[in-house]
Amino acid sequence: MSAFKRKRGGQGAVGKKAKKAKVVADRDGAPSETEQGTKNEVTVPAPVSSGKWTNKERVLIFSSRGINFRTRHLMQDLRTMMPHSKADTKMDRKDKLFVVNEVCEIKNCNKCLFFEAKKKQDLYMWIANSPHGPSAKFLVQNIHTLAELKMTGNCLKGSRPLLSFDPKFDKEPQFALLKELFIQTFSTPHYHPKSQPFVDHVYTFTIADNRIWFRNYQIIEEDASLVEIGPRFVLNLIKVFQGSFGGPTLYENPDFKSPNMHRREIRIAAAARVREKQMVKEMQKMKRTEAKQDLSKDITADVFLTPAPEKPVHIETEAPEPRFSNKNKRKAMKRQRQRR
Amino acid sequence: MVVDSGTMEPAEEQQQEQEEEEEEEEEMLGLDSEEENSEMSDDELQEAFASGLLKPGMNVLVDQPKKHVNNVEGMKQCLADFRKDLPWVERLVLTNPPAEDVLSQAEGKVPKPANGDVNADDDFQREMFFYRQAQATVLEALPLLSKHGIATKRPEDYFAEMAKSDQHMQKIRKKLISKQMILEKSEKAKKLREQRKFGKKVQVEVIQKRQKEKKAMMTAVKRYQKGMTDKLEFLEGDKKQPGKDSAQGSKKAAAKKGPNAKRKFKDQKFGFGGKKSGKKWNTKESFNDVSSFRAKVANAKGGKKGKGGKQNKRPGKSVRKKMKGRS
Repeated sequence: MSAFKRKRGGQGAVGKKAKKAKVVADRDGAPSETEQGTKNEVTVPAPVSSGKWTNKERVLIFSSRGINFRTRHLMQDLRTMMPHSKADTKMDRKDKLFVVNEVCEIKNCNKCLFFEAKKKQDLYMWIANSPHGPSAKFLVQNIHTLAELKMTGNCLKGSRPLLSFDPKFDKEPQFALLKELFIQTFSTPHYHPKSQPFVDHVYTFTIADNRIWFRNYQIIEEDASLVEIGPRFVLNLIKVFQGSFGGPTLYENPDFKSPNMHRREIRIAAAARVREKQMVKEMQKMKRTEAKQDLSKDITADVFLTPAPEKPVHIETEAPEPRFSNKNKRKAMKRQRQRR
Repeated sequence: MVVDSGTMEPAEEQQQEQEEEEEEEEEMLGLDSEEENSEMSDDELQEAFASGLLKPGMNVLVDQPKKHVNNVEGMKQCLADFRKDLPWVERLVLTNPPAEDVLSQAEGKVPKPANGDVNADDDFQREMFFYRQAQATVLEALPLLSKHGIATKRPEDYFAEMAKSDQHMQKIRKKLISKQMILEKSEKAKKLREQRKFGKKVQVEVIQKRQKEKKAMMTAVKRYQKGMTDKLEFLEGDKKQPGKDSAQGSKKAAAKKGPNAKRKFKDQKFGFGGKKSGKKWNTKESFNDVSSFRAKVANAKGGKKGKGGKQNKRPGKSVRKKMKGRS
């Protein structure tokens, strides 16, 4: 089977028949009449039809050592979604990065998605066009895999995706370059042997907050009602290189802050707050213990002294006269008035 | 870095110009303030000053701001080399802004600057933005796909392997159903609780009304029996509706005041339902709680002995007989 695949050109009828047999075995229940050519209304065209697969893209998806379960699942999900992908064993981190190019060549792949985990916390992703082409390094964040129960959509394994890009990708040269790279990597070639002939899901790449957001939706109805399938992640561009996994830097993201710096900043801020509190406490202590001025004389004592003429002191020797109240006794009390 | 007066002197000897002295002072100042100035030796500084690069006064070293590579030409060149011109069918790519938001009544497909830049922190808005972008793509792509003969709907009997296994989809379905059930249950429980409260209130009211009626009837009958009234109106039942209404109105006003003070205090102390059994333990908090200590009461020695015995003490038999005899 693999031998047939490797031979280029002029495959002829032999390979085609072999493929067809396998395809029939895969689909249990699909009647075989639908495969044979006559394209009337909803016949299913076979994915491989006499060597029409021309766009030979192969993506190598693998990782370095020290990845965690989420990354591993993400890789597996990407391999599931992309039938034109190949897997490889984990690369030892001792080897330099350009070794990846050799691995790609061995596997006969011309694109590569390489995941690198540092400190068991940060995940970096390299996307490269293998022999000479450009490559880019990203920091991956907010990973959600296919297996999350909130992603309720589903799609055919190996169906071709629609790719949807934000118009912002055309505005800047680095994003235009990245767009081309994504298109070539993520789009499944037409008539790929492992692909399904239907288009039932769509990838979206959007730029927000200077990062690239990736989403995958299933197309349910013809009126464009969508459900998310997953996986989903956010890419933060670090650098774009001219060569594959090396070469001169074409673009460096000025807004990128490495996760170490980010963590360090948080720690410094916390430390600064603590130090400030301590300083304030020390100042208070000093104030309390320092010698205080003895205020025996009040300098503001005469502010409110308003000299006024003295009144003569009058001592009453007789009782005061009784006062007559001017209450009108004829007027009834309020309650009585109300009662009436 | 210590100012080295040894090096100053040969400099003085070499050039005895006014400038030179100024430069020395400046060097001293400069060297005092900048300790990282080890790269620029004195000779270099002299030369720089002589050629007019340095000016008299304080010269402070600043860091050059870090330059980020942005090789636009290089990128364009790279893109030109790298891009492949394939028919649309091969790549299935579309670039478009999000579809118009029916719910928020946006106008037209022209992305307004306010709407164009989505706020990444507002989760809902952001996800809706992505969703609408995908929708716009799908709407545009479907006619193109049908033109190329690629189907998006698969026939009913087309069974093929899916990205997520059937087992997984079952799990998802179960989770959704369970969420819905929980919601429904909580709704039902709330409604039931409300009903029960209401029902109890109604029941209590009815009982009270009946008791009041009974009492009124009994008093009316007694009065007739004792000869106080000779009217038999009480037998006709409730005819005094307008009069009753005012009584009811005042009763409602009384009921509106809510539970009386005793009830309130007890509620406050013991709570509204919940765990009742373990409430009066000696915990740290209850032990340290001295809010119910009344110094007056605690320190009053003796005082009234419960109002001097019982208040409503019933008089003895002889006294009662005497009283009866008198009346």
